[in-house]
Amino acid sequence: MNPPEASAQATVDVTMPQMGVSVAEGTVVQWRKRVGEWVQADETICEISTDKIDTEVPAPASGRVLEILVEVEQTVPVGTVLARLATDPGEGKGAPPPEGAAPGEPAPAVTPHPARHYSPVVQRIAAEHGIDLSRVVGTGRDGRVRKQDVLAAVDRPPAVDRPPAIDRPPAIDRPLHSESPYRPETREPGPGQPAAPPPTSNGAARPAVAEPDRPERLSRMRRSIGEHMLRSLRTAAHCTTIVEADFSSIERARRALGLSYLPLVARCTIDALREFPVMNATLEGDTLTRHGDVNLGVAVSLGDEGLIVPVVHRAQELSAEGLGRAIAELGRRARAGELSPDDVRGGTFTITNPGAFGAIAATPIISQPQIAILDLEAVVKRPVVISDESGQDAIAIRPMANLCLSWDHRALDGALAAQFLSAIKRRLEGWDGG
Amino acid sequence: MGELTYLQAISDGLRCEMRADPRVLCMGEDVGVFGGAFKVTDGFIEEFGPDRVMDTPLAESGIVGTAVGAAVVGLRPVCEMQFADFISCAFDQLVNVAGKMHYRQGLAVPITVRLPSGGGFSGGPFHSQNPEAWFMHAPGIKVVAPSTAHDAKGLLISAIRDPNPVCFLEHKYLYRRIRGEVPEPGYTTPLSARVAREGEDLVVIAYGAMVHAALEATQDIEGARIEVLDLRSLVPLDEAAILESVARCSKVVVVDEANATCAAGAQVAALIAEHAFEDLDGPVVRVASPDVPIPFSPTLEQAVLPGAERIGEACRELLAY
Repeated sequence: MNPPEASAQATVDVTMPQMGVSVAEGTVVQWRKRVGEWVQADETICEISTDKIDTEVPAPASGRVLEILVEVEQTVPVGTVLARLATDPGEGKGAPPPEGAAPGEPAPAVTPHPARHYSPVVQRIAAEHGIDLSRVVGTGRDGRVRKQDVLAAVDRPPAVDRPPAIDRPPAIDRPLHSESPYRPETREPGPGQPAAPPPTSNGAARPAVAEPDRPERLSRMRRSIGEHMLRSLRTAAHCTTIVEADFSSIERARRALGLSYLPLVARCTIDALREFPVMNATLEGDTLTRHGDVNLGVAVSLGDEGLIVPVVHRAQELSAEGLGRAIAELGRRARAGELSPDDVRGGTFTITNPGAFGAIAATPIISQPQIAILDLEAVVKRPVVISDESGQDAIAIRPMANLCLSWDHRALDGALAAQFLSAIKRRLEGWDGG
Repeated sequence: MGELTYLQAISDGLRCEMRADPRVLCMGEDVGVFGGAFKVTDGFIEEFGPDRVMDTPLAESGIVGTAVGAAVVGLRPVCEMQFADFISCAFDQLVNVAGKMHYRQGLAVPITVRLPSGGGFSGGPFHSQNPEAWFMHAPGIKVVAPSTAHDAKGLLISAIRDPNPVCFLEHKYLYRRIRGEVPEPGYTTPLSARVAREGEDLVVIAYGAMVHAALEATQDIEGARIEVLDLRSLVPLDEAAILESVARCSKVVVVDEANATCAAGAQVAALIAEHAFEDLDGPVVRVASPDVPIPFSPTLEQAVLPGAERIGEACRELLAY
């Protein structure tokens, strides 16, 4: 046996960081460094995700990656050792580990887990066909990539000479409709359908020829959204109530203040929540908790990636302009991937606003454990019957919008939902700059 | 001639060769007047006379030693061990004398040693063994182990015509359980493997009685097409056929009825590990008897011998990997 030569070599643990008071665990998404690679202090060593937030873990010290203990897709508690670095003083640049790295602090015991291994035949086939194995979905034990999985990946791509894809049922090809809070996805038009103008961000024109089918594993975010949505549908007794509101006053205020509709609707909703505090509540099991603060969740579309609902905490303290700024800032951070876990937690009521894409009604899914979600649809000019002060009826052209409220029949009944919606409508229609 | 049992096919092969070639003779304990413990040579002494169907004393070393001498001077003796287990008494004559004769003195030793082997009938530790690996380990000896009636006749004739000493493992469990079409004239079966069933998801490599256990175990594993490769010859080992099956299937279960350590399957597994590494999509899995003597108790014996159930379980495990 050789004597251990590590006497001059200190090791530093890289641990799953605490990223917010309520975060208990995180999932490793990607390792940026491999075993044996050198990493500078504060350089990103791996990417992790908690719930919906992705972030990067900086190396606590400069050193060589000695071992990686938590593999990609594994979820571990905060404080778990993810990797060990060997800091070698002889290597010059290696700074001593900062105090915070606390190698003395006992980490929760984890069993070392081997990195994802591929069998020889899988590696050979992947090399021969240039397949990126990290993108191949494994159907073997614990998600292991088997020979048939990599062969399926080989068979899938280019296939230029395929016959026209008449085997593609048109139903699958259609958008999922405007079911809020999903944003309609960009698709090429099916045969016979006129080419719709491409949504703003994704303008590249695509040929209308049939393309080969490409099964792809859902992204982590899509899976996470799917789980939340299904859980909510299973949990809550969903009902949707719709009122239409005249947005003439809001339209004027919006122009005056240089805001979008959303902060003004949010402000009116907050006031209505103060009038009906039972709506600003969460229901968990048999316990309904009314919340003092209005922590307003605002759905932000991340384009093809999915959707995230950052929360404006203590929204009742903000004016319409303040809400506008807060929502814009959260949206920017959401798209930049800079949200912290606490930015998406603690919501007591949610507003979603897919109306920008022209839909006029939807039945949104409640964000658990909240009891209602308000959906603001497109503001469109419509002929409506109005009555003047002398009671004379007339037909007028007014900017109208539907407010669709999905609510949990376990927590309240339809009358209250309608009253609450009417309270929002009253405020919207009577907006006087408050 | 139509359908024969595995045992009748062995008799038929021996009779064909004795009729065709006057140099061929058979010898062993009770092979003459009694017709052999399992009746393989029943009626032989009447047809060929006591000079070519020789009853011997209970002395296996003497039987093989006599055969070696007869072979060196130009005869083609076929020795019967009453049970394969008793071959250990003739070990030196077979391994050191017969096996090395050509290397030392340039003389061919065309003897065939028939070895009724295998368990499954409560024969206990002295009457149930599968000693083939002993002879695979000794240079100069060929080892064959048919699983069908057709191959039993063809391989026996191939063994008799081979200029080297050949151990012919005939499985007692198959004697009267297996039947098959056997052509009447003499024919030879090559010392190479045979695909008993084609498949592409996994290959079970076996020989002798285990071929039938493997076929039974894998006939309806859901969603998988399982190949069964019958080795037929252990020396020479059909490496090309093994590697071809592994390349196609990428998952391998190797079955031995023999005790696991250093069994024929261990050699097959080593071959695959060395030459088929890049074709593998899972560990090479072995199913064999544990390293214990074969028990008398029928219940214990069934627990020790690999059966269709264990083979099927191993296949399903490996398929899921």
